[in-house]
Amino acid sequence: MIRPSPDASLPAKAAFLKVLVWTVFILFGLRLFYLQVLQGSYYRSLSENNYTRNIVLRSPRGMLLDRNGKVLCRNRVSFSLVMDSAKGGSVDDTIAAMRRILGFEITRAEVTAAFHRSPVGSLAVLARDVPPSWLQKIEAHQQELSMLRIEMELRREYPYGNRAGHALGYVGLMSPEDAKRLELKENDPFIEVGKAGVEKTANLRLMGKNGLRTAQVNSSGREVVDPNLRLPSVGLKEEPVPGKPLKLNLDMDLQIILEQAFAGETGSAVFMNPNTGEILAWVSVPDYDPNLFSKSVSTEDWNALVNDPGHPLLNRPIQGAYPAGSTFKPFVALVGLEEGILTASTVFSCGGVWEYGGHAFHCHSKGHGAVDMLSAIQNSCNIYFYHAGDRIGIQRLDRWGALFGLGQKTGVDLPGETSGLLGSPEWKKARGMGPWYPGETLPVSIGQGYLTVTPLELLSFYGTLATGGTRYRPRIASGPPELLSTVAISPESLAVIKEGLWRVVNGGGTGKGCRIPGVDVCAKTGTAQVVEASSGKNTYSLEKGERDHAWFAGFAPRNNPTVAFVVMVEHGGHGGDVGAAIAKAGLEYLFFGKNPTEVQGPPVPHAPEQAAPSPQVPTDLPLEPPVPEEPPVPQGIPATVPADPGSPTGAAP
Amino acid sequence: MRQALKGYVVYGDHLTSLLFLALLVVGSIMVHSATTGTKFTSLAPRQTAWCFVAAAVYLLATLIPYDIWIEYSYVLYGLCIVVLVAVMLFGHAVAGSRSWLILGPVGFQPSEFAKVAAALAGAGYLKDLSQKVIGLREFGMLCAIIGLPMVLTLVEPDFGTATTFLPMVLAAFFLSRLSLGQILKWAGVAVVAGAVLFVIGWFTFFKPYQKERILTFVNPGTNLRGAGYQVHQARIAVGSGEVTGKGLYSGTQNRLNFLPAPHTDFVFGVIAEETGFVGSMALLAIFLALLARFAGTILLARDLEGRFLVCCSFAVILYHLVINVGMVIGLVPTTGIPLPFISYGGSSLIGLTLFVGLAANVRAHRFLR
Repeated sequence: MIRPSPDASLPAKAAFLKVLVWTVFILFGLRLFYLQVLQGSYYRSLSENNYTRNIVLRSPRGMLLDRNGKVLCRNRVSFSLVMDSAKGGSVDDTIAAMRRILGFEITRAEVTAAFHRSPVGSLAVLARDVPPSWLQKIEAHQQELSMLRIEMELRREYPYGNRAGHALGYVGLMSPEDAKRLELKENDPFIEVGKAGVEKTANLRLMGKNGLRTAQVNSSGREVVDPNLRLPSVGLKEEPVPGKPLKLNLDMDLQIILEQAFAGETGSAVFMNPNTGEILAWVSVPDYDPNLFSKSVSTEDWNALVNDPGHPLLNRPIQGAYPAGSTFKPFVALVGLEEGILTASTVFSCGGVWEYGGHAFHCHSKGHGAVDMLSAIQNSCNIYFYHAGDRIGIQRLDRWGALFGLGQKTGVDLPGETSGLLGSPEWKKARGMGPWYPGETLPVSIGQGYLTVTPLELLSFYGTLATGGTRYRPRIASGPPELLSTVAISPESLAVIKEGLWRVVNGGGTGKGCRIPGVDVCAKTGTAQVVEASSGKNTYSLEKGERDHAWFAGFAPRNNPTVAFVVMVEHGGHGGDVGAAIAKAGLEYLFFGKNPTEVQGPPVPHAPEQAAPSPQVPTDLPLEPPVPEEPPVPQGIPATVPADPGSPTGAAP
Repeated sequence: MRQALKGYVVYGDHLTSLLFLALLVVGSIMVHSATTGTKFTSLAPRQTAWCFVAAAVYLLATLIPYDIWIEYSYVLYGLCIVVLVAVMLFGHAVAGSRSWLILGPVGFQPSEFAKVAAALAGAGYLKDLSQKVIGLREFGMLCAIIGLPMVLTLVEPDFGTATTFLPMVLAAFFLSRLSLGQILKWAGVAVVAGAVLFVIGWFTFFKPYQKERILTFVNPGTNLRGAGYQVHQARIAVGSGEVTGKGLYSGTQNRLNFLPAPHTDFVFGVIAEETGFVGSMALLAIFLALLARFAGTILLARDLEGRFLVCCSFAVILYHLVINVGMVIGLVPTTGIPLPFISYGGSSLIGLTLFVGLAANVRAHRFLR
């Protein structure tokens, strides 16, 4: 039991070691107290943020169908690249890593813009229709690309491409402004809202409602089911509600026949059932492919559309206001009859020109001689209607115009409708243009001067003639008829006008180009002047841009009409030529079916059998057109849908 | 033998044994929790097996009087040096460093054993001194004994493990008769030398990941991925445990893979997440009790070599604890140093068990002549 004399300072040293250990213990204890007790709930929320992911259960947007059930718009699965700023990390590093790993080029400014466009502040859609292989690449480089993920979304697809594009419209990703306008609060950057056409007007019906599920994910973002972790915040939060499909009144076969009949001309055509307001065809050319907007439309494509001299984005039937030309004359005649100022046998003499108030008002003919109402309509005599208008006066024309909805919007279920103009003394005065001169009523009487109409307005007038005074709201989407108003027209007056319109086509009048044996087509041609007719030039000798607009409007058959139509060809020359031919193609289809040649002797220039591609195999639509800023698009959907971030279980099995 | 056992029952360091056993149990459970449901599931039973081996080794280390251990210290030390050199030449590389020796189904890290061999060799050197005083020359000698395996470990290269030799140098310092002035002087020299070595190392042999770890520690905001990501996720794991924890086997950071290396370097993160502040402090209290016990043993040890062994045990275990737990709770930079007795790994467990066993040994045999 000998203890060598220890170092004298040993007790102090041992005490020092104890102090050292206690110091470490207290220091670590304080640190743990700070992290776990003081900051515990903060770190708990961070850990919850780590393992929970809100998975949006995307509900498909409703399909669009034509009146025969043909699919005009459906949904397809697409993969999109999303950046989540809430995940933390450097945007610049991620941009560099994307270039290196995915071969995807994007600038910092484009990323910032994508965040600004998104209705969800922390999520930005960087690219759509990306290859599915990116899914694996992003997972393999989880650390560098942690801000990124691939999401499956459902995107609009219009199998007919350009066909009826202006009626269908297009969709786009919901912007913060859209969210405000629609009073929607969404957690998903992939909400598509209608931006034009019925896609816009029927948007809320088509949209449906996204569901929400909270999933438990591991550090790679994969969903994990671990019975040990009973996490109360995980589970289904909201059921998705799919959008309702919408049946349209359009007849796609008619639509295609009409569009092909335009053969490159610019203009519009609308066919409507006057007894219901159902729109059977809606042509506005040049047109655009709504699929283009379903891809995030590139700046070049957009500029090309906006700067196209043909203005393809213009929805001509409701956004183009033109002089009505001679198609207005039946209206003047009707007002004359109804007001008792004219009768069917009232005769004016046409000598080719009428001096009025120091002005020479011309007819398109050297002189029709003595003209009564029927031959005036049949031959579209200007001099007759100058006299008629002069007698009727602008006030009566205005009053009746208001009854027929001229100068007013029709209320069609498409966005962006404008109205034409029915000039009046009040209107002129309000514009500070001075008093109305009687000489100004004369051009209005032949559809020129202070008078413009949109094609749909004019169609509405002819539809009212067809029903004998009942006006329905024109509608693209199917549904019960919506009565607008009833105009009291005496059957006698109506019979006179109908007879005149019948003669235009069937009595050797200006519209004989639309004569169809077996169908009593009633119509009126119109030639709206672009260049003063007094120049004396034949319209076909003018440059294309200076030629007159060609109108052709009417209804068929004469008794119990089932269709009213308007055709408008910009700079088309005489309405009796190009307009009548287009209308004829459509009417032949409607009355004789797809293959008029079987019913009728002479062949039709527009062969309908090649005009109606089946919706399954559209001949003119590249299903997956490449998007310039994006890499090649995936060809279809992989057989196995990866169980991964944001799989839209609302749509997937 | 009977007598010896009886003596051990009376004088043995039972508190240390108890604390050590508690750590083994905690380690077994936590490695199990950290590996269940991962590709490392098979490691938990292995760790439990290692714990039984460790218990046996502990008994040997504490029952055989430390004089006998010291007697064979040079042999053990020489053997370790030879193996370290062999490993350097023929070793199995893991993560770029040749630090593994594969014997059949079991892999060893000889550096973990070289540490305790160096402590024993140092004790042996002290035992043979006529004047039982650590002066400058003796201190230099001890440094050489400790430094040789340390340098061999450094060139493997295993930077983290090499640093675990340094606490023994401090232990030697601590027991020396060098005055405070001398200590400070030499400490100053050491700091300058360390700084110079650090700068040289920065531009020569530090690996990019090591530099990144240091930079991440200095400025954690710069790199939320990579090393910064680990530190960030470890902090979330610790903090989200709150007061009582999420429950064993229920840590989301652990089980859903957010916590890096949950069964090895970051096992304390699992403990903090699943058992909370209460559990973490309980574990730290075990370590506190163990280390305080060693501090007391220093006073009781009957000779300088015994004191040196205890001091080495104290310093090595405290160093591991501070570096590992400090890393998990974000007080020191990320290094690959395990939490003693808890982190998965047989070599480290056995090596550190020898240290604890020898420290208990010194206390148990304090009256033996």
